[in-house]
Amino acid sequence: MSTDVDSESVWPADADDVDEAVVANWFVREGGAVDAGDTLCEIQIEKVSVDVPAPESGTLAERTVPENGEFRRGDVLGRIETG
Amino acid sequence: MSKPASDPGTGGVDRELTMSRAMVDAIASEMRADDEVFYMGEDVQDYGGIFDSTEGLLEEFDRDRVMDVPISETAYVGAAVGAAQAGMRPIAEIMFADFVGVCLDQVYNQMAKNTYMSGSAVNVPMVLTTAVGGEYNDAAQHSQTLYGLFSHLPGMQVVVPSTAYDAKGLMHAAVRSDDPVVYMFHKRLMGIGWMPAPEGPKTPVPEDDYTVPIGEADVKREGGDVTVATLGLHVHRALDAADQLADDGVDVEVIDLRSLVPFDTETVLDSVEKTGRLVVVDEDYQSFGVTGEVVARVAERSPDALEAVERVAIPDVPIPYSRPLETEVNPQVEDIVAAVESVE
Repeated sequence: MSTDVDSESVWPADADDVDEAVVANWFVREGGAVDAGDTLCEIQIEKVSVDVPAPESGTLAERTVPENGEFRRGDVLGRIETG
Repeated sequence: MSKPASDPGTGGVDRELTMSRAMVDAIASEMRADDEVFYMGEDVQDYGGIFDSTEGLLEEFDRDRVMDVPISETAYVGAAVGAAQAGMRPIAEIMFADFVGVCLDQVYNQMAKNTYMSGSAVNVPMVLTTAVGGEYNDAAQHSQTLYGLFSHLPGMQVVVPSTAYDAKGLMHAAVRSDDPVVYMFHKRLMGIGWMPAPEGPKTPVPEDDYTVPIGEADVKREGGDVTVATLGLHVHRALDAADQLADDGVDVEVIDLRSLVPFDTETVLDSVEKTGRLVVVDEDYQSFGVTGEVVARVAERSPDALEAVERVAIPDVPIPYSRPLETEVNPQVEDIVAAVESVE
């Protein structure tokens, strides 16, 4: 089983008119264990930082967007293997 | 082989932190444990520190413990000294080390000397945090480290973390110290989104409290040919240089000084007695500073071991605003490689 780390669900309401962001920092390496709610990464939307929590407990299987990588609203940032 | 940039600690830790988050982690923990610990500085409250040194503290603590102050460093550093003497454990931030001039009397005549001047009737258990370093085009008044200036004046401990692991451990040690500690954090290592850091400073950081002892250097990479002693941002540049030199068969030992006061002479001496060759790399001005002090300590105690020595520091000029000029004066990886090759 795996769960996507979704950028849409953390997009702040006051950035509704923005469509692009960048992953500023990853805090877990691929293969690292995470608990639901742990901060996985930090994204920046027009210089505003937003922490992205792990949606589920498990293992970070993949960073879909690399550190300093740009992405569009709704893109999947990573994937967590669960159970 | 390079060992990881920092000791990952015990237990399986999968989370990695930026240096700023590790620093805040320690501050928050100390504030939770002791009501006498508080933070004050400019833009440290709602803004979270312009280099994220207090990011998130206001979500947990009241505004009288995470305090914005007026732009008078003399007033609030003096207030911190007084609070410390009265039994509190303040952390006061000078936004840029470059601005210490406007409150220097409070720092070196009051904070550093009041324990001595009072015959130990009072002590000053405070931490003075300050951002240091350049290479982001902030010009001559916002880019200095001033390591040598702070370390020259007696009565203060001075620490300079280069990794998230050390940033947390040194902050715990600093807050718990019964004497003043100057805690200098390099802006380029904090991991701020708009000022990308090198790869090295983000390290595994245990959730539990731990201290990194003040006054202990850390051998970041073992090697037998040349000793490179450095600190702050340049630890990471020295490690890069060592990796390059390894390809040419030169085995470099890299020492992260971590503390300038007290200074871990033994670790540097032990290394130079092994290698015979010393390169000191520093992001402060060359003259009358850290590089000269390190060389002098080795030369005094072990002159026979010292076969060759080189210093790599900022030449004695104001730090330029222009990017190519700033890059020229700030020691780069290739400058460290060249210095190692010149003594090898």
